[in-house]
Amino acid sequence: MAAIELRNVRKAFGTVEVIGNVNLSIEDGAFVIFVGPSGSGKSTLLRLVAGLEDATAGQILIDGTDVTQLGPAERQLSMVFQSYALYPTKTVRQNMSFGLEVARLPKADIRTRVDAVADILKIGEYLDRKPRALSGGQRQRVAIGRAIVREPVAFLFDEPLSNLDAALRVEMRIEIAKLHQRLGATMIYVTHDQVEAMTLADRIVVLDRGSIQQVGTPMELYQRPANLFVAQFIGSPKMNVLAVRPDGSALVFADGRRADLGVSFPPRLAHVGFRPEEVQLLSIGQGHLQGKVEVVERLGSDTFAHVGLGELGIITARMPGNVLSISPGQPVGLGLSGNQLHQFSRDGSRLS
Amino acid sequence: MSIVGKNASSAKFRRNRWLLTGLLSLYFIYTFMPLFYVITAATKSNQDLFSTFGLWFAEDFSLWENLATLFTIQDGIFLKWMANTAYYSSVSAVGAALFSTLAGYAFAKYRFFGKKLMFALVLGAVMIPQTALVIPMFLMLSSMGLTNTSLAVILPSLVFPPGVFLMWAYIDDAISNELIEAGRMDGAGEVHIFSSIAFRMLMPGFATVLILAFVASWNNYFLPLVMLNKPDMFPITVGLAQLYSTAISGTGGVLLFTVVMTGALVSIVPVIAAFLIMQRFWQGGLGAGGVKA
Ligand SMILES: Nc1ncnc2c1ncn2[C@@H]1O[C@H](COP(=O)(O)OP(=O)(O)OP(=O)(O)O)[C@@H](O)[C@H]1O
Ligand SMILES: [Mg+2]
Repeated sequence: MAAIELRNVRKAFGTVEVIGNVNLSIEDGAFVIFVGPSGSGKSTLLRLVAGLEDATAGQILIDGTDVTQLGPAERQLSMVFQSYALYPTKTVRQNMSFGLEVARLPKADIRTRVDAVADILKIGEYLDRKPRALSGGQRQRVAIGRAIVREPVAFLFDEPLSNLDAALRVEMRIEIAKLHQRLGATMIYVTHDQVEAMTLADRIVVLDRGSIQQVGTPMELYQRPANLFVAQFIGSPKMNVLAVRPDGSALVFADGRRADLGVSFPPRLAHVGFRPEEVQLLSIGQGHLQGKVEVVERLGSDTFAHVGLGELGIITARMPGNVLSISPGQPVGLGLSGNQLHQFSRDGSRLS
Repeated sequence: MSIVGKNASSAKFRRNRWLLTGLLSLYFIYTFMPLFYVITAATKSNQDLFSTFGLWFAEDFSLWENLATLFTIQDGIFLKWMANTAYYSSVSAVGAALFSTLAGYAFAKYRFFGKKLMFALVLGAVMIPQTALVIPMFLMLSSMGLTNTSLAVILPSLVFPPGVFLMWAYIDDAISNELIEAGRMDGAGEVHIFSSIAFRMLMPGFATVLILAFVASWNNYFLPLVMLNKPDMFPITVGLAQLYSTAISGTGGVLLFTVVMTGALVSIVPVIAAFLIMQRFWQGGLGAGGVKA
């Protein structure tokens, strides 16, 4: 088990800076998730922690020890790769034993450890098979098993579930959550998937173009996003954002429409955001903005209405259950709550 | 032109197929004729060799006599030549395949200073015929006192640029970076990763280079000709050429023509055998890369 700390870490490939001055500390036993758009540097950051890439500058500490100069093996971390990266010519048992053999553990110990882990992951039946003869989900389990047997101080996952189908992904997600509870080990996990991030993480690190946008619990990020990027990246469907100019207790929208919300706004306000569940669908003429329903999506548990506001674009409203009273083409009013609005300045940072 | 989706009985498909078959048949005849000549010539007596039609067998079947002469001539020196050739080629082939694999692996999987330049040099070397290098190499090896030793033939053959290129392409495709990184995370050193994870995945490529290098070395004539001057160190190529020159120079050697032909026939048998053995690797292997999702 280990606390991991990154101090002023930078990484450049040639002249291209991919990670710029990252500071991050991860508590012992935490489940931390890196999210961000493609190319934002999630994998690179993870690989820096793993020791698979050398940092251009800065320090990486594990339990207070500077490991920046150490190779991957000496850091005693395990990694689960997106492609699983199982050794194709070795059986499942040999795959899981390999790291222990390298570490020169006695044969009998290796056997018992592999058997115990195989038991936890329910892969005992496949121990003598080659990876080729396993399904995607089974390979994923073996890859996780190979990471566990080494009893590392922390686990690193790079999009481990992205090659699985939706049902299996949910199953493995729950399994990984259980594993974290059971082992209590520090885990760093990279994903694209909103739901994985929200459900698994103790803390989420949002990355964009190689720098950290915000670190916080899933609910902190959801309820108090530090900037427009985080606001729109976390949450699905994403937060509605409209450009505004404050005018006393009223907002003036980009097309000149005014809405009086009865609360005072700071003068630096430039954007307001509201989540789909933070906007109310009312009859035409009521509320603060008028629009027309363009598309209705019914998921059974929720109904999403996409409402066109002319020049202002489209915003999404969420209603619980199957709301039968709305249909495409219908004119509606939108009700906002002045206190609930997320307020952002011109440069995108949160005002409050 | 694509034939996908065309009906196999359509006129166009049939025309294309005949054309293709015709072209390949011509090519086959072109390559097979000299070989066939060697086969028929090896079964003839010296008289028949010049008095009968070259591309068919004579009435008397003299292969056994020719073989007997071949293996007994000059106290059975042909056997010695065969052994030499086998020795030079197998050591060269194993060495060349090993070095090609190591170099290909480094080019495909490591970042290092001067990599681009070195790879360009390897690519360039593919295009330089070895023949052009033999004389400078002779001067080099002779100043090292290595001419007239088996090393003089083997050392230059260990450098096999087409093999490096082939292994580079194969490794680049067959072994993912993540696989190597998984090995590193497991604590294995680079040599260990290569020998216990990567190498076994590379066997089809290795076998291919092995056989190409083997055949190249087996058929090599100019290098041993320049490097060696003791007849009992000759490989078959140089030995047969020497017999042949005795044959045309007259001096009672007319009899040797068929012996040279028989020797040529015998010398290609191991090459064919090697191809047949190695075929197993090619069929089983080229799709045997990493385990993909
Ligand atoms: N070896 C490399 N050489 C040069 N540039 C690289 C290298 N590895 C990554 N990059 C660049 O670094 C940036 C971040 O890449 P990284 O793989 O970390 O992104 P990511 O957030 O993991 O993206 P994805 O979600 O698509 O996996 C990208 O712009 C990428 O092109
Ligand atoms: Mg990535």
